[in-house]
Amino acid sequence: MSTPIQLVVIGAGPGGYAAAFLASDLGMEVAIVEKETNPGGVCLYRGCIPSKALLHAAKIISEAKHAEAFGIDYPAPKIDINKLRDWKKSVVSKLTGGLGQLARARKIKYFQGEASFINSNTLKIKKADGSTEELSFKHAILATGSRPAVIPNLPKSANIWDSTAALDLGDIPENLLVVGGGYIGMELGTAYHEFGSKVSVVEMTPGLLAGADRDLSDVLFKRAKGMFAKIMLETKVLKMEESPKGITVTFADKEGKEFKEEYNKVLVSIGRKPNSENLGLENTKVKVTPRGFVEVNDQRQTTDPNIYAIGDIAGDPMLAHKASHEGRVAIESIEGKRVAFEPQAIPAVVFTDPEIAWCGLTELEAAKAGREVTISKFPWAASGRALTLDRTDGLTKLIIDSKTQRVLGVGIVGVGAGDMIAEGVMAIEMGAVAADLKLSIHAHPTLSETIMESAESFFGHSTHIFKPKKA
Amino acid sequence: MTDLKLPELGENIAQGTVTKILVKTGDAIKKGQNILELETDKAVLEVPSSADGIVSEILIKSGAVVKVGQPIFKLEGVVASPKGEATLEKSTNSIEIASSQKSAPRNDTGISSASTSVGIQDLTLPALGENIAKGTVTKILVKVGDSLKKGQNILEIETDKAVLEVPSTTEGLVKEILIKTGAVVLVGQAIFKIEGGVSAAAITAPVEKVTTPSAKTVSSVEIASSQQNASRKDTPITTSIPVRKDIPAAPSVRLLARELGIDIGQVPGSGPNGRISSEDVKAYCKALNTSRPAGGGVVAASHPLPNFSKWGSVRREPMNNVRKKTAEHLSYAWNTIPHVTQFDKVDITELEKLRKSISGTSKKISVTPFIIKVIAAAMKKFPQFNSSVDIATQEIIYKDYVNIGVAVDTDRGLIVPVLKNVDQMTILQISDELTAMAERARLRKTTIEEMQGGCFTISNLGGIGGTFFTPIVNWPEVAILGVSRGSLEPIYTDGHFNPRLMLPLSLSYDHRIVDGADGARFLRWVCEAIQQPFLLDLNK
Repeated sequence: MSTPIQLVVIGAGPGGYAAAFLASDLGMEVAIVEKETNPGGVCLYRGCIPSKALLHAAKIISEAKHAEAFGIDYPAPKIDINKLRDWKKSVVSKLTGGLGQLARARKIKYFQGEASFINSNTLKIKKADGSTEELSFKHAILATGSRPAVIPNLPKSANIWDSTAALDLGDIPENLLVVGGGYIGMELGTAYHEFGSKVSVVEMTPGLLAGADRDLSDVLFKRAKGMFAKIMLETKVLKMEESPKGITVTFADKEGKEFKEEYNKVLVSIGRKPNSENLGLENTKVKVTPRGFVEVNDQRQTTDPNIYAIGDIAGDPMLAHKASHEGRVAIESIEGKRVAFEPQAIPAVVFTDPEIAWCGLTELEAAKAGREVTISKFPWAASGRALTLDRTDGLTKLIIDSKTQRVLGVGIVGVGAGDMIAEGVMAIEMGAVAADLKLSIHAHPTLSETIMESAESFFGHSTHIFKPKKA
Repeated sequence: MTDLKLPELGENIAQGTVTKILVKTGDAIKKGQNILELETDKAVLEVPSSADGIVSEILIKSGAVVKVGQPIFKLEGVVASPKGEATLEKSTNSIEIASSQKSAPRNDTGISSASTSVGIQDLTLPALGENIAKGTVTKILVKVGDSLKKGQNILEIETDKAVLEVPSTTEGLVKEILIKTGAVVLVGQAIFKIEGGVSAAAITAPVEKVTTPSAKTVSSVEIASSQQNASRKDTPITTSIPVRKDIPAAPSVRLLARELGIDIGQVPGSGPNGRISSEDVKAYCKALNTSRPAGGGVVAASHPLPNFSKWGSVRREPMNNVRKKTAEHLSYAWNTIPHVTQFDKVDITELEKLRKSISGTSKKISVTPFIIKVIAAAMKKFPQFNSSVDIATQEIIYKDYVNIGVAVDTDRGLIVPVLKNVDQMTILQISDELTAMAERARLRKTTIEEMQGGCFTISNLGGIGGTFFTPIVNWPEVAILGVSRGSLEPIYTDGHFNPRLMLPLSLSYDHRIVDGADGARFLRWVCEAIQQPFLLDLNK
């Protein structure tokens, strides 16, 4: 066999391609094994990017509708679903095509196919054309990502969607049930609502968006109640059956009372599972946890010293930006640099309307850990910018260490929260104290002022909120 | 009038104590003429002048501690060093001092080769310290067009161990900067182009010019370290530094700490509410390096001394440099190395016969060269005895060369000159070189270079007496052989007690790398080899 390649990256999602590109830029000889013709992964093909394209379209519909409130009346939109789908596809192909060019420009060996380990130094690649090839390597990075989790024992039906099917935009169903009130279900539910579907959501737990602080998700919940036909919390799905109009679903509420509803389509979005099967990991020293994640150390090195793992397969949170960062850590570690994956804050953004974003410590986590924190909030009703947008359904909050006054967490709900959270990440990573945010001048009139005013509020004197002095 | 400054004296030498001033006010001195005798940590060096002129004032006195770059004389009528001669000046002032003492004729070649390097030259990264092969440039302190002075700080470099300021080894005009901030630079790599400079490679080049076996040693050490670096690339460093949550330090600062091998959780922050800046990390690193004494953490001052004068009169004398260095080095070795000492006796009756037969009246060969030769062979047979331990990287460094140090008792204390590549020398050559070395040591002429690069040490106390002793391993070596005085003993062989000359040997070794059984095997092998001296080829 020829001399081993320095690095092979298995899976070219945002983690894999970031790692491969960096490695190549540092002078390594790099190969990528990826099922698709171009890099991109779930994020670009079946996740972040197509969903955001659809959500943008949905937002325009929503804002046009909303404009009626201040005297601008549009007729109901006509949606050309084929054109919308084509546009979404063009966004995806532009991005993935661009990544393909970047890979070629870097002279990265690109194998379209599937890889499995023969041992800790050799991969077997089943190529898209059916042929196989063995590739020996010095280091490998597992970046195979995740896939939608499925409910066992569901009938096989074109009317039961996973997120991939929902993004394909086959049709706009009259009635859509979203199973799972997480970020994927809420985002896609929002989009389909704007496209004209009657959307219902069913969630097992008492709240939407598990993990987010309740005061943030409540703001979304309030608006979602107005949008969605029905939000069923603490409700289980017992059964799904094919029926004349689509799917009949049997539910059980928290008292155990069963009831049935019929929907044209059902979107199952109950989470994602890491892709750690069929990789031949049993032929290596890589250890996999019962949940299917690959065990890694701070350098993202697995229990097999030649093999690293990044992104969804390496553990929660399953976020593209976490994967890219891990990819860079893994490469620098292979290069012999002393690095570690040690973020103080990983931003999470839900692109619903309004958006929800948070980073660092949440209030929930602080309470669970028994940490002494002060929560400092600024409701958007007091923001001039929010008023001009006619979107005062927002809240900015800081989780501050009561003793050191360090900013430990930031949570935002409201339009544009996803872009605003960057300041929070920066503050936490830089070890900023509340005074730093208060003393940094924020532009007026912007929503970012709400962060500054939250910090002022920590000191008891936010300009736009009057707090009566405690006697 | 110009200041004549103390030139660079060699690697890791920043200062020395003036033991003799060889000129007086009013003397006309020539470039290259010896002007001072200086005692550094281990060697006494003669310092040559770097300029012509008349001494108008002597700024130092005997006994004073002088730093490199410090003005020592005021000179009148200084001949400004033109470019062409500049290199000559340089080549005579540092390492060449050492070799000029060894062999005068080399001077011719030294000059001719040195004077060819004129005009624009490369300034290379000087040696930064032991075991430091490279560093990351964090700051460049000069810019193109600056005129450099020797000793002026030109770079800030981060190594695995510390953030260091790198002084210039030369003078001249910066023509080009060949590196940039963030780059990793290897020792010896060109960093600036200098015009009109004194030969740039103050430290590195002269070492290479010396073509004695010592040069081989230097290059093989470099090879060893570069191999180490190469292998390190393949096996990622899994640092044991834990990932810390809730540390008030920016990502860049946390990375810096990681690169320096510092647990950010230990660094006190100077910012508001304990925020840690990169300066805090550097200060902490510096403090660690200075507070961590070379003696491995055992600070003598931890226990107060009693007032000895209660019991009679006492006097205090400062330790000389050799004593200081010995104390520091041996306590470091003692504290770092888990020692085991293995004893054995070797029958040297036959060896003595051989030794006497080849020792003429004019030339006496002691038993030591034979032992050195046997040890050299044993080190090839048992390579773990020719190694060093890198505990930081959890690696063992094996050496492909065999250099053996021999402890020499001098009036100033213990000196250990190193015989280089003894495996390639005959016993007679070893004997000659050993005699010459011991003589140089007693005359304080041993150079720093001659004391570096050892793989194993032999300490022969047989001339004084005693049976066994427990020598301390000369770190970073991993073993040392103590030789005591041989004595006639009745040995039971063939049904009789026969008088045999038995030589007691004591082998101390680093138990981290040498197991007890290996220690015993090594010493047994040595004894058996010495017992059969006819197997030793005198000319090989």
